[in-house]
Amino acid sequence: MPVSFFLVLSALLFSIGIYGVLARQHAVLVLLSIELMLNAVNINLVAFSAMLQEAGLGGQVFALFVIAVAAAEVGVGLAIVILIYRNRQSVDLDELDLMKW
Amino acid sequence: MDLAQAIAQPSVDWHALSPDIVLAAAACMVLIADLFLPEESKWLAMPLSAAGILGTLAAVVSLAGEHRTTLGGAVEIDTFALVFKGLFCVIGLIVLAMSFGYFRSGRYYQGEYYFLMLCSLLGGVVISSARELVTLFIALELISIPAIIMTALRKADVKSNEAALKFFLFSVLSTAVMLYGMSLVYGITGSTKLDEIRSSIASSADEPLVVLSVIFVVIGFAFKISAVPFHFWAPDTYEGAPSPVAAFLSTASKIGGFVGLLVLMFRAFPEVADTWRPAFAVLATLTMTVGNLIALRQQHIIRLLAYSGIAQSGYVLVTLALIDPSRPEANAQALESAIVYLVIYGIMDLGAFAAAVAFARKTGTYFLSDYAGLWRRSPVLATLMAGFLLSLAGTPPMAGAWAKLFVFAAAINSEVYWLAAVMGVNAVIAAWYYLAVVKRMFLDSPEVDEPIEVPYLLRATMGVAAFALLAVFIYPAFITSLADRSLL
Amino acid sequence: MPDSGVFEYLAAGLRGAVSRTNALPNCAFCVLVFGLSATLSYPRGSPRSCSHIATSGAVPAVPRDYFSQYITIGIFVLVGLGLVGVTLQLARLVRPNVPTREKYTTYESGIDPIGRGWTQTNVRYYIFALLFVIFDVEAVFLFPWAIVFERLGTQAFIEMLIFIAILAFALLYAIRKKMLEWL
Repeated sequence: MPVSFFLVLSALLFSIGIYGVLARQHAVLVLLSIELMLNAVNINLVAFSAMLQEAGLGGQVFALFVIAVAAAEVGVGLAIVILIYRNRQSVDLDELDLMKW
Repeated sequence: MDLAQAIAQPSVDWHALSPDIVLAAAACMVLIADLFLPEESKWLAMPLSAAGILGTLAAVVSLAGEHRTTLGGAVEIDTFALVFKGLFCVIGLIVLAMSFGYFRSGRYYQGEYYFLMLCSLLGGVVISSARELVTLFIALELISIPAIIMTALRKADVKSNEAALKFFLFSVLSTAVMLYGMSLVYGITGSTKLDEIRSSIASSADEPLVVLSVIFVVIGFAFKISAVPFHFWAPDTYEGAPSPVAAFLSTASKIGGFVGLLVLMFRAFPEVADTWRPAFAVLATLTMTVGNLIALRQQHIIRLLAYSGIAQSGYVLVTLALIDPSRPEANAQALESAIVYLVIYGIMDLGAFAAAVAFARKTGTYFLSDYAGLWRRSPVLATLMAGFLLSLAGTPPMAGAWAKLFVFAAAINSEVYWLAAVMGVNAVIAAWYYLAVVKRMFLDSPEVDEPIEVPYLLRATMGVAAFALLAVFIYPAFITSLADRSLL
Repeated sequence: MPDSGVFEYLAAGLRGAVSRTNALPNCAFCVLVFGLSATLSYPRGSPRSCSHIATSGAVPAVPRDYFSQYITIGIFVLVGLGLVGVTLQLARLVRPNVPTREKYTTYESGIDPIGRGWTQTNVRYYIFALLFVIFDVEAVFLFPWAIVFERLGTQAFIEMLIFIAILAFALLYAIRKKMLEWL
């Protein structure tokens, strides 16, 4: 299979992720969208790594690190979302407007 | 290829890694010590962190003048790396001095704060010597993830929560965009090492994919350094965060982003500079102008410093718009001016934040109108604050003047006159709002006459910082001689 | 914040455009999809440089009959779906249709449902879930090491011990902060 199949798939995932980040108002859904974007990156990395076999495993190792960092980010993100829910009983991002300009 | 064959044991030069290892060990020690300290002596985490940072600084000094590569080229120790490692250590020490009273008096998680700050600082120390994509990425995340938690440290304060969430979302979004670009770079060049990327990307300079990937990486970094139009998070985050954390974000975090950007642009992508140089010129113009124009209207000192910090990153972005590998001399001058600017910016911006923190500790206010007549309430604080603001404005007798002048000269030397002109106009706009604060402090009369005492630690730190800025103004070779030798 | 004027109008306008019509995300989405797809799959003529990505470059060959096996599955799925549809339609032709209220309840012959379908999970599970996610993901670094363990020898072993020790510090932190106790 040509590698561009994978690239188009990951481009689609990445775009859906960006759409979600921009259009969703619920903080958890935004987190999910960001995960989509990171997974698009992983697809890219693994596909390239399989394509460039002679160049070693850089892409796969990179993907492992992306997964680990994504887990750390989700941990921090969910903690903040819970903090906000405790203080305001809502996680709607449009209501977070205490500070402007 | 078989996995077992692909993973080879790299040779490790432990001395070259010593600053990073010392700092990591110090961070772990602070975490453990905090677990076993009783509540009333939690503040001991601060001297412990300071000792850790001093140890790191010693390790940096022990490497002075060396040029080593280790971990298969992923880490390279050269003067560039050492200058920034040292700068991060100094920033860490100043932020520690600012944090001590602040976090001890409030009901904060002190031990966690110092641990997180050391972790974030470790990210900065690692990124200075990272010469490979994965290492760069991990170091960048190591800077920002602890910084997000530090922003949310005031758990019950809704503003702090909001600031942290905004920072988190923008930071993670930028990471994702940057990673997408990096994955494409890896696909085009088949390597994650910057030197190999440089040699193999040159052959495909006019491919749309190359442009796309570099632009993605640049957008990701633009979020991190809060360049316009990706700056929306910065002022809100700084305002909501505890103010020492805001100082940390606006210096260490931002300089970390710039170090990554400089390394990538000067080391990995210079051969395709024609495709992305205009993007930087536009970014720099927008960042300087918008940052300064909005700063004119601010009434809150932290937000003023936030927007002025955005404008200051615009000046550094100018140097990135001057990269041209076909003219090595102008190229070297651009890098040199960027290094000088970042070093001086780090010190003077922290100084201004420290003065704001010292003021707010006694008066509890951050509004500029309350700075009226500060000269009569505390001559020391007013003088120091004025010094830092003058430096930020780029007026003599402070080092900020040289910083701006070097960038300006680099732009002239590269014959990008319009950018130099934009820079000049912006320096004038910026001087307006900085000097307005200075005027308010010295010429207006105060509403209350109560004198303000500055804690000794904070006073000493600010004094040393101001003295350093003055010394660099009188004898700029302190920094330029270092910057001269740190070529990427 | 006290500032008002032009900037607030601008901000309000921008926010309105984004939240009400979703115009900005929609446009961004379309542009991104088209742009990325076009760039990534654009067949390039030039033989040099990175054109291998789109044309000649390929992930290692999958056996040709790999995909033909999916055809069998596809046929089964179609037949299965068809069978369900046809039997339901047949039954409809012959059965009487006398709807009563009882018959429309969810469990006609069971216990009446009480309350709402959403139940809350205790928020304390969240801490455990997070701890699990983080420690679970760190295990990802152990697998490559374990595969080449014998080849790498003592130095790598010590390095991995350091890695695990740092993780153990985190665990120690969680224990000391009473994160693992059910309060």
